[in-house]
Amino acid sequence: MNPKHLQPDVPECSLCADPAVVYQRNAGRHLCGAHFTADVELRVADTIRTRRMIIPQDRVAVALSGGKDSTALLLLLSQLLPAWQDVRLIAITIDEGIIGYREETIQSAERLTRHLGIEHHCISFTDLFGDSLDTVLKGRETQACSICGILRKKALVVGAQQAGATKLATGHNLDDEAQSVLMNVFRGDLPRLVRNSGAGSSGKFIPRIKPLSLISEKEIAMYLMLNDAWNELPECPYTHHALRREVRSMLSGFEYMHPGTMLHLMESKKKIERYCAGSLISAPLHACRECGDPCSGDLCQVCSLLRSLGK
Amino acid sequence: MKLILPDHEVLILEHDPAPVEQVLLEQGINPLEVIVTRNKKMISEDTVIEADDEIRIIRIAHGG
Repeated sequence: MNPKHLQPDVPECSLCADPAVVYQRNAGRHLCGAHFTADVELRVADTIRTRRMIIPQDRVAVALSGGKDSTALLLLLSQLLPAWQDVRLIAITIDEGIIGYREETIQSAERLTRHLGIEHHCISFTDLFGDSLDTVLKGRETQACSICGILRKKALVVGAQQAGATKLATGHNLDDEAQSVLMNVFRGDLPRLVRNSGAGSSGKFIPRIKPLSLISEKEIAMYLMLNDAWNELPECPYTHHALRREVRSMLSGFEYMHPGTMLHLMESKKKIERYCAGSLISAPLHACRECGDPCSGDLCQVCSLLRSLGK
Repeated sequence: MKLILPDHEVLILEHDPAPVEQVLLEQGINPLEVIVTRNKKMISEDTVIEADDEIRIIRIAHGG
C-alpha cells in the first residue's frame, strides 16, 4: 500500500481510497487520477450526446494545432467515438508560419496522429494565401489575433471541405468560451455574442462543434498529464498583443474567488440567445464576388482582409 | 520546502506545513492557472506540503 494513504495530509478520492489529484469545488468532492479521467470522458460524451454534436455516419474533422486543447480533444474523441455508429475522425493542422512556435506543435500533432492511426492533413497559410503569418503581420503585430483568426478559420474550412468532413470539431474549452462571452460584451458586439455556428446551424456551412466547452483549461491540462500526453510547448509570440490575455487573467481571478463564474457566464449567454431568438435581423447571405463563399456583404471577411493586405 | 516555479526558478522556503493552495497564493499564483506535483505525482490544492517536500509548479495557460 502507498504509505501516503496513511497520512492525513493527503486527501483521499471521494469514490475510492486512492490519493486525490483534484478537489472539484462545484461538486464538493475529491477525485483520484482514474476517477478524474473517467469524469472528464463522461462529461464530454454527455455534451456531445445532449447537444447532438455528432450523429451516425459523421466524418468529423478535428482542428489539431498540436497544443493542449486540440490534443485532448483528439484523444478524447478517439477514445469515445468507437461507441458511435460509423463515425470517422480526420485531423487538420494549419501551419500559419510562425517561426519558433509552430514547428514544435506541428511535430507534436504528427506524432499524435501517427500514434492514434488517424488521417492527418496539413495546410499552410503560404500555400493558401501566398504568405506566412509572420510576413503578413509585419507592421501589424497588434492585429495579430484578429488577422490570424480570420485566416485560420478559412484554412480550417478549406481543410474540412477537402477532407469531406460533415463536422468541424475545435478544442475550445470552458475558459475560452467564457472569455469570448466577456470580450463580446466588452466590445458591445451582440450579434457575435449570439451567433450560432454549431451543430444545428444552417446548411451553408460545415457545422462547428466544441465538445470540450464545459471542461476547464485546468481540467484539460490535468487530463493530458494523467494520461502521459502533456507536452510543455512554446507560447505563441503574438499572444502578448491580445485582449484575450487580459480577459483570461481577470476571469481566472474571478473564478478562483467565486467558483462557477465561467459556467454562469455561459448560462447568461444561453439566456441572451433565447431572448434574442428571431429579434436580431441578420443580413441575407450572398456569394462573395471573389471566392463564392457565403457572406452578408459583397466581399467575405477573408477576401476583404486579403484585399486590405494588398493580396 | 523546495519550490520549482513555472519558469524553472528554484525557491527554498522556510515554511511550516501548509496546504498547496496557501503556498501558491503567498507566491502570487492563482491555483487555477497551475498544476502542482510532488515527487512527480499530481496533488490536489488542499494537500498539506511539508518542509522536506519538493514541489513543482507547472503553468497550464498557453496562447494559440
